Amino acid sequence: MSEQRVPCVAGLFSETDGKAVVHGSRCTSCNTPYFPKTSHCHNPGCDESNVEDYDFGGKGVLWSYSVADFPPPPPHKYDEPFKPYVIGVVDLDAGLRMVGQMIDPLEAVQIGAQVELVIDTLYHEDGKAHTSWKFKQLQN
Amino acid sequence: MQEVAVLGVGMHRFGKTGDAVVGTKSVTELCRHAINEALRDAGANWRDIQAVAAASSRFSGGKGWGLNGNDVVEDLGSTGIPVYNMSAGCAAGGNAFNVGYSLVAGGVYDMVLVVGGEVMPKGMIQTSGVEEATDPEFLRQRCVGMPGPSFWSTLARRRMHDFGTTEEQFSRITVKARACSVHNPNSRFQKAITIEDVLGSPYVSNPLRLFQICPVSNGAAAAIICSAEKARQFTTHPVTVASSAVATMTFDDMLPRGLADPVTREDNLHTEVRNAVRSAFDKASMGPQDVSFIELQDNTCYYELAFPEEWGFCEPGEAQRLMDDGETTPDGRLPINPSGGFVSFGEATTAMGVFQIAELTWQLRGQAGGRQVPNAKVGLAQTNGLGGNATAAILKK
Ligand SMILES: [Zn+2]
Repeated sequence: MSEQRVPCVAGLFSETDGKAVVHGSRCTSCNTPYFPKTSHCHNPGCDESNVEDYDFGGKGVLWSYSVADFPPPPPHKYDEPFKPYVIGVVDLDAGLRMVGQMIDPLEAVQIGAQVELVIDTLYHEDGKAHTSWKFKQLQN
Repeated sequence: MQEVAVLGVGMHRFGKTGDAVVGTKSVTELCRHAINEALRDAGANWRDIQAVAAASSRFSGGKGWGLNGNDVVEDLGSTGIPVYNMSAGCAAGGNAFNVGYSLVAGGVYDMVLVVGGEVMPKGMIQTSGVEEATDPEFLRQRCVGMPGPSFWSTLARRRMHDFGTTEEQFSRITVKARACSVHNPNSRFQKAITIEDVLGSPYVSNPLRLFQICPVSNGAAAAIICSAEKARQFTTHPVTVASSAVATMTFDDMLPRGLADPVTREDNLHTEVRNAVRSAFDKASMGPQDVSFIELQDNTCYYELAFPEEWGFCEPGEAQRLMDDGETTPDGRLPINPSGGFVSFGEATTAMGVFQIAELTWQLRGQAGGRQVPNAKVGLAQTNGLGGNATAAILKK
C-alpha cells in the first residue's frame, strides 16, 4: 500500500498525471507573474491591474543554491534524524525566480543547470507524507 | 534645513546573555549605560534632550509593543518629551537616526537622543512567528526551510560562480574584521583569529561557515544630535551630518526574499540599499571618491565584497582584489568596517544603525585608537532590514 500524500500547505500547488504546478497569478496588463497568488498587480509601472489565476511549473535554470547544514527553526518541519538538504534559487522559464529544496545531492548541483519543478515529500506526520514543491536537475 | 551635528555618542559593549559583559542585563540597563556615555561625551544633561528617536525591538523591552523609547524615558526620568519609536527590522537603528536627524534639520527640535538596544533570543532569528498560509515568511519556512544563513549562502555561492571568489577570500575578510576588533573595546569578540580558524569552523550553510556569519548579540548604542549652531556651544570641532537617507526596495529587485519574484532584465540585488546609498550621496552632493571609510552591514563577510560594488566604489568582481591587496583595512585606500563590523560585534539588531554612527564619530574625531583610519574626513554608514528597508548616513568632520 502506498502512503497517503498531502500538501504541507493546502491550495498552493498540485500534481496531476505526474505534472507538478504551483498555483499563482498573472497580470494580463503587464504580464507580471506572481507566486503565491495575489489579488492585484504590484507593478508600480502597471496602469491597470488585471490579475488572473495562473499555474507555473515546467523548467528553469538554477541561479544559485545553498545548503541547510542545520535544522531550520520552526515553522519548518522535517523527518528525524535531520538530513542537510540543498536549497535552490531557480529562474523558471515562466518568468519567476523561485526558491525550493533540491532533490539532487550537493555534489551533483551546478549553477546554470536545467531543472524542473516536481512535488516531493518534505516530512511525515500523522502517518502521511506531507509534500512541497522541489526542483530536480535534468540530465544534459 | 539647518546643519546637524553629532554631539556625543556612547555604547554598551556587546556580549552574549550570561557572559561577563552583558550577563542578565535588561535592554533598559544596556540603553541607560549607552545613553549616559553619550550624554557625558556630549557634555549634556538628560534634561537638555528635547525628543527621543528610538529603534523599536520585537525581541526585547518596549512593553511588547516596540515602545523602547518609552522605556528609556521612564528609566532616565519622565520629562514629558516626545518619543518616536521606529520599526524597520535590522534597519531600525539607522531609521531612528534618520528621524532624529530630520527633526533637528527641520528645526523642530534642537537636541535629540537617538538610541537602540537589544537583548536577543538564542539561535537563528525566527522571522514572523505567524503560522498562517497568508504570511509569505511562514510559507517560505514551512514549504522550503530557508533560514537567514542559507539566504546569504545562495548569494555567496552565486558570487563564487560569477567572480571566482573563493572560500579562502571570504575567510580572509573575517580575519581582517577580527584584527580590527582587537582594538575595539566595545566589540564582543576582541581576539585575532587565523584563516585556519575560519576555515576550520563548521558550515552553517555551505559555503558560509560559522565565523563568516554574525551571531546575535546583546548591546546598545546612543547618539546625541543637535543643530550645528547649538553644537558650537559645546565644541569647536563638531562632527556633522552631510546627509541621512532612508529607502525601500523597488519592484525590479531580484533578491530571493520570498517564495518567488518576477524575473527582471537586470540582476538587481539589494535595491533598497542601493537606493538609500544613492540618496545619501545625492543629498550630500558627494560620491564614492569622497568617502574615507565605510561601515556597512556585514551580516556575512560576503557583503564586504558585494556592497562596495553595488554602490559604485569599484567594478563588479573587483572588491576581492582590493581586499586581497589590503586596501579594505584601516590603513588601505578603501577601509571597510574598521570597527570590526557585525562579524566581530554580533548583531544586536536595533542597535546597529546607532553603533555605526558612534564608530563614524570616533573615527572622524581621531579617537579610534589602534583601528583608526588615518586622516578620516568622511564616513559612510549603511544598514538594511526585513521588509526591504535600508538606511545610509554620511558624516564628516
Ligand atoms: Zn500589472
